[in-house]
Parts: sequence; structure tokens; C-alpha cells
Amino acid sequence: MNPIELASIQPDFGAALLAAADAGTVNMALLMSALLFTCGLVGFLSRRNMIIMFLCTELMFQAAALAMIAFGAVHHDVSGQVFVIFILTIAAAEAALALGLIVLLYRRRETLDSEAWSELKDA
Amino acid sequence: MDSAILPLPEPSFLPCMVTALAEGNAPAISPALTLTIACAVSAIALVFLMRPGPRGVRVAATVGGLAAFAVLVVEVLKRAGSGDGLPPIFPVVFGFIGLAGAVRMITHPRPVFAALYFILVVIATAALFLLLGAEFMAFALIIVYAGAILITYMFVLMLAQQSPTEQDGGAWYDRVPREAGSAVLLGFVMLASLSEAYFSKSAQSFRDDVSERTAVIGANEAWERLDAMPKLMLTTAREAFNASWKPAAPDTPRPEVVEVVRNADGGALRTLGDTAGVEVRLSDGSSQFVELTAEFLPDNGRQVGVDLVSKYPAGLEIAGVVLLMALFGAVVLARKQIELGEDERRGLAGMRRFTVEGEAGGTGGVR
Repeated sequence: MNPIELASIQPDFGAALLAAADAGTVNMALLMSALLFTCGLVGFLSRRNMIIMFLCTELMFQAAALAMIAFGAVHHDVSGQVFVIFILTIAAAEAALALGLIVLLYRRRETLDSEAWSELKDA
Repeated sequence: MDSAILPLPEPSFLPCMVTALAEGNAPAISPALTLTIACAVSAIALVFLMRPGPRGVRVAATVGGLAAFAVLVVEVLKRAGSGDGLPPIFPVVFGFIGLAGAVRMITHPRPVFAALYFILVVIATAALFLLLGAEFMAFALIIVYAGAILITYMFVLMLAQQSPTEQDGGAWYDRVPREAGSAVLLGFVMLASLSEAYFSKSAQSFRDDVSERTAVIGANEAWERLDAMPKLMLTTAREAFNASWKPAAPDTPRPEVVEVVRNADGGALRTLGDTAGVEVRLSDGSSQFVELTAEFLPDNGRQVGVDLVSKYPAGLEIAGVVLLMALFGAVVLARKQIELGEDERRGLAGMRRFTVEGEAGGTGGVR
């Protein structure tokens, strides 16, 4: 896009922001949701710090919420947004419990390294 | 038009694919394979970004990842069929910010910075929510995630993290990832299959649904839900009537809507084909059919509220129970175990202690 075209859309910023979602926006949101979920999964599997691991689960929650909203926009149905409220609820509950657990585990071993608990795995 | 969305990477990288896409020709590789190859390239880039390594390698990996992301974006937007109009520039920009934040979050060696990058991801996601028309959830996301959950994470980091000393750059376990290669492999096998499922030709059939017709059907369904809220229906019908009313003679005063006529089963909505509307009784005694179009629908926050209480009341209750249980669980988990002797326990329970005050263990109990 050349600068003149870019300048011509500037005044419509609000309108462009609040316009009904088109297929390109929906596709971009779906791509973002897939990428964010993958990043969260990779981070959860490969980071050693337990706090970061749970932060990565929050990233996966974000991705799921984004997919919900995108498909809700496709079907012109607000139920997708209502599901995101439930996702937020579960994420908040999960954060509270997980952080309580982490504080407990940290008190026992004085480290956040998840390898410190590797004897818990079978074999 | 597609090539204008993001600056294209150097031609040395994936030359044939990039030039083919830039010229708008069908690439020599099949489109499904293009997605998979882009996923694989970004996977390799992510492996190098996760491992501590020399600066040059990290820069090269960043460039490679950006190129793969650009190819993904171009390919995905092409499938949406939005090549004729303006390219959706805001979704691409916010998507890029969100992805950069996410990658930096899982690669940064300092946990505090990872948490801050996560806030960046939350804000970018909230912007995408806005673009998708979910205003209420966008701001709720920022308040709940960036405002509440992330602050809790910060507190725990403060309590549990040893601050990095001198030049060592933080704890060992924050700098060296565990099994980065196989984790990334697993993640990107999933990404490739997911993108194939989302963006294959058959899955993209939904873009024909994003049309006026679906909008009308969606609006009519929203009106049906709104029918359960009599007061809201009355104010909306009043608005719609006032907007559509035209005086028969120039000086006729406008009658007021007194009530919405309801059927025997309590519902007020009538649908004729694609037209939804209600019968209203006016202050001059006559009644009239008022058409309800999508523009009179309540705002997004109100629609979410109506949907929440009319369609998912049980879910709402269960969410409350889950939150309560999480509260109890967190209290039980974080409570510190204090070893009490037999005598202190008796004292706390209000029973008579065995030891007399002044002797060992007696600190002012019941004599």
C-alpha cells in the first residue's frame, strides 16, 4: 500500500475498527489462535521454571478464547463471547490454584526448577 | 496487493516461493504444502531462538521466522478471498505484535520479562477481539488478565524467584530449555495439521457464510433471545418506532408506545420471512407493526449479558461454584503447617492445659 492510500484510510480508523468482521480478519484471528496455542504448548513442554510453565497455559487459554470469538463472529452469535467469560473464570481459578501449588513446592525445595520434582515420574 | 501487507523478506530466503507469491502467480508448490513448509521453517527458527546461542544465529533465526510468518499471513489472507478490497491491515499488525510477544515470552530467560511480554500478548489479543466486534470481552480480558491474573503471577515471582545476581543472567534452569527440539517438533506438527484443518478449501467454506444473509439470521436469533426480557424489548420497540414514525399531517403529534402486544405464550416477536418485528399498542389507541432490524439491537455488552442469563444460567452458577472451590483450594494449599504440641492444641481448643503457667510450654493458658 502506498502512503497516499494509507493516509486516505486514517480518518476511518474508528469505522474500520468497529466494522463487522470480514473473512480476512477472521482468518487472521484463526491463524493467531493456532500460533499462540503452539507457542504456549512449546513453552509448557520446554521451559523449566514452573511459573513460566503455568504462564504458558494462560497463553493457550488466550488462543482458545480467540478461536471462540472468531467463530462467534462468523456465525453472528454472541455465544462465543459468553464462552470466553467461562474461559476467563476457569483461567482465574487455575491461576489461583497453580500459584498456591507453586508457592508450596517452592517452600519444600527452595527452587522453581521443575526437574527438582522429577522423581515423581514413574520409572 | 498481497505483497503490501508485510515487507517481504530477502529474496535469498525461500526464493522461489516468495517471488512466486509476490508476483501473485500460483506458486510451483501446492498451497497446502506451502503452509506446511512455512510451519516447518518457523519451527526450526523457534528451536534456535529457544537455545542460548551466539547473536548471529539468533538474528538469522528471527529473520527466518519473520519470513515464515509473512508467508503464512499472505497465504491465509489469500484463502479468505479478500484480495480485492483493502488488506486487513489492523489484524495483521496486531497479530504480529501478539506473536512477537508470545515468542519472546517463551524464549526470555528472565521470568519477570516473560510475564511482561505476556501482557503484550493480552493487549494484542484484546485488539483482535475489538476487530471481531467483541468489545465487552476485549476490555474484560484486559481487566481480568493484565490487571488481575498477571499481578498475581508478579507477586508469586516476587516471593519465589531469586533475583539474578552479578553477570550470570539468572538461574540456570531459566536459561537452558529442556528438550527444545522435540517440544517444538510436537508443537509444529500440531500447528501444521491445525492450519490445514482451518484453511483447507473445504474448511474455508464458512467465508460464504459471512454475508448479509447470515447477519440477518443472526440478528433474528438475537431478537428471539431478547424476547425473554420484556422491559428491554419495550424500550427497543419504542426506539424503533420513534425512528420509523412519519407524521400523516405536518402537525400531528407523535404517539407514544404504551406496550408491546404479547401472544398467549408470552412471546412478542413475530417473524415474516426474514423480517422480525413486534406489534405495539400506541397512546392514541391504535396498534402497529414495528419492524426490528439489526441496527436497533442492544450494544455488545448488553447482548452478552442477555445471552449469558437466558441461555447459560446453569453455566453461570457452576462458574460461581468453581471460583468458590478455587478460593478454598488456594487457602488450603498456601496455609503454612505449624507443628503444635499436644498442650498447645488443647489450649487453642479452649480445654484445660496440662502444664502450669511458668513451666515449659505454658504461655498463659487456662489454669
